[in-house]
Amino acid sequence: MKASPARTRRWVTAALSVLALTAVAACGGNNGSGGSSSGSADKADLTWSFWVAGSEDQAAWQKVADQAHTDHAGITVKLQGAPWDSYWSKIGTTLAGGKAPCIIGMQSLRMASYASAMLPLDDLMKKYGLKAEDFDKPIMDGLKADGKQIAIPYDSGPMVIFYNKDMFKAAGVADPKPGWTMDEFKAAAKKLTAAGKTGLVTTPGDLGTMSWVRTMTGAEPLSDGKLNFTDSKFEQGFSQYADFVRTDKIAPQVPGGNPDFETQQFTGGKAAMQLNGPWSLIDTKGKVKFDLGIAPIPAGPDGSKTYTAGSGFGISRSCKTPDAAFQAIMSMTSEKPLTVLAEAGRAYPARTVAHPAWFTAAGIDGAKETIDYASEHSIPLVTSKNWVQVADLLNRFGTQALNGEIPPDQALKTIQDQAGAGS
Amino acid sequence: MATDTTTVAPPGAPAGAPRAGRRPALRRDGRYASVFLAPSLGGLALFTLFPTAMALGISLFDWPVFGERSFLGFDNYSHLLHDPVFRRVVLNTVLFVVLYVPLNVVVSLGLAVWLGPQIRGRQVFRVLFFIPVMTPMVANVMVWRLLFQPGGLIDGGLQAWFGIDAPNFLGSSSWAMPAIVAMSIWQGFGYNFLVFSAAIDQVPQSQLESAQIDGAGPLQRFRYITWPMITPSMFFATTMTLITSFQVFAQPFILTQGGPGVATQTIVMYVYNQGWQFLQMGLASAAGWVLFVIIMGITAIQFFGQKRWVNYDV
Repeated sequence: MKASPARTRRWVTAALSVLALTAVAACGGNNGSGGSSSGSADKADLTWSFWVAGSEDQAAWQKVADQAHTDHAGITVKLQGAPWDSYWSKIGTTLAGGKAPCIIGMQSLRMASYASAMLPLDDLMKKYGLKAEDFDKPIMDGLKADGKQIAIPYDSGPMVIFYNKDMFKAAGVADPKPGWTMDEFKAAAKKLTAAGKTGLVTTPGDLGTMSWVRTMTGAEPLSDGKLNFTDSKFEQGFSQYADFVRTDKIAPQVPGGNPDFETQQFTGGKAAMQLNGPWSLIDTKGKVKFDLGIAPIPAGPDGSKTYTAGSGFGISRSCKTPDAAFQAIMSMTSEKPLTVLAEAGRAYPARTVAHPAWFTAAGIDGAKETIDYASEHSIPLVTSKNWVQVADLLNRFGTQALNGEIPPDQALKTIQDQAGAGS
Repeated sequence: MATDTTTVAPPGAPAGAPRAGRRPALRRDGRYASVFLAPSLGGLALFTLFPTAMALGISLFDWPVFGERSFLGFDNYSHLLHDPVFRRVVLNTVLFVVLYVPLNVVVSLGLAVWLGPQIRGRQVFRVLFFIPVMTPMVANVMVWRLLFQPGGLIDGGLQAWFGIDAPNFLGSSSWAMPAIVAMSIWQGFGYNFLVFSAAIDQVPQSQLESAQIDGAGPLQRFRYITWPMITPSMFFATTMTLITSFQVFAQPFILTQGGPGVATQTIVMYVYNQGWQFLQMGLASAAGWVLFVIIMGITAIQFFGQKRWVNYDV
């Protein structure tokens, strides 16, 4: 091979140019971050980071974002979507690095971990006249940290029982009514457990487990902000809950690592009941081939008690145009977009004025009565800062406790030891 | 590093032979080589060496993604050493390796020998066996989950035909790991199978035939002719399989999420959870370094041990 000095120089120049271009491309990756957006209260290009499940989802939420531009001609909101799991790892690092987009999607159960990087909204609420009482109280409270409003909710929902009316009818069991007791529930579930089918299906998810424990003994997962799993009332409630699978056998053994197991068993007609949130109701109704009903969680000694969770939108502390971002959030959680979402069968709206549209879309007898009842008997599930770890541990060791591999109190003790006080 | 080539004599050059005439060309080659190597070396430095060193630094800190960072010295390492969960996680990883690597080699070598050059249609089998390697792991795992779970294909089949319940494969501490190993072998043996097949094809037919004429049976022919000739491939396959199996992540992550309890949690899963789920970068980096040292150690032992059994002279 011949190589003249000129040719060598050309090679070197070409190689260096490639390297330089690569470096420029690598450094230019941050353009999407809205934290650097500038503008005034009425004029800003904002980025909104949110979890989306696919292109259809992305389009539906972009419409919600467009409401901000409709209401305020100077404001545009660009949706930056990511799938649920990667959303949380991404938002964690961008918030910590002070480069997060202005508008952040936030779930009530995860808020405690991220609240310190979010802007409290109370002053902005006062300034722009957003009224807390227009929203469902449990979820408005659920998006508070240390008494300060961190996010404005778009959806809400107390945990309720979904049931298969056809299976109930075939087994000769009466439809459950608000106020039904734990004994009535167990009797029904026993009668429904036959021929390879079960009365209930359950997995140790955080919302479900906490709701069962709370209705059984009134125990809560935190006490004075610290994890309280080894409290005797909590142990008692968790143990009774584990008995559904362990000894009563009204629910099937839990497989590890399948978050969809409950929904698969229930929608497949293999289990007559599951505990779920209203956010899944319309989707579930579309999937099942049977008549779907809902009922509140059965009442323990002190009545029916459940938890509410939901999600909303907040503002990152690094946002340079919080006023514009807040006005955008007000538009995104206003009656119109929430009604459109409700009519499309998505989330159960957090704004009370949009409820009728959702109940019409759901088309389930008694849904309003049940959800109103459950909402009244619910409180927000307040979580610790390391709740993601607690929920992970609960899934691991809860599965073993439910399946009877280890005693329930041992599972709780392991979780408490591993998670610590939970800060 | 790359410019060292200018001082190396070409292979086979007699010692003391005049090299003056060759030097400029070599120097030029060296320059070309460094230009071509620069992007990958730069990439290696930027994306591998720097993060590895950075992780070592982070592992000495309490490094939450949110909040104050503080220097801990070796506290993260001593925490890992005393944490029953992490000890179990290391044990799980070793258990996976101990079950997976030998079984993988036996299955892939067995099939490669069986599907020798004399078998008709072996190309079709090669493609068939390689399909699981090519399909995305996530899709494979989803199918196996439907097989394994209560009311799934295995459970449903056993109930329908024999009226008995299958074990709760993915929910039972004693069954979950064997279930993951079984799935992993099905998914992964095709790669080593191809490596061994290619090596076996290189064994000269004439030697095998003359051995046969001399009265050597199939086992003897394998032991004394085929085996020595495929030992370099065997070394490559076992080394790579060991390294990748210490890094096992996707199968337990999707099949069991490391459960029940921590029965199937592996070191890489632990690193992922601590870092990206619980946002504890210090602990995650320390666990990552523990894995790095284990893999380095095992690989070093293999390289030193190869003199005893790997035959490069054929």
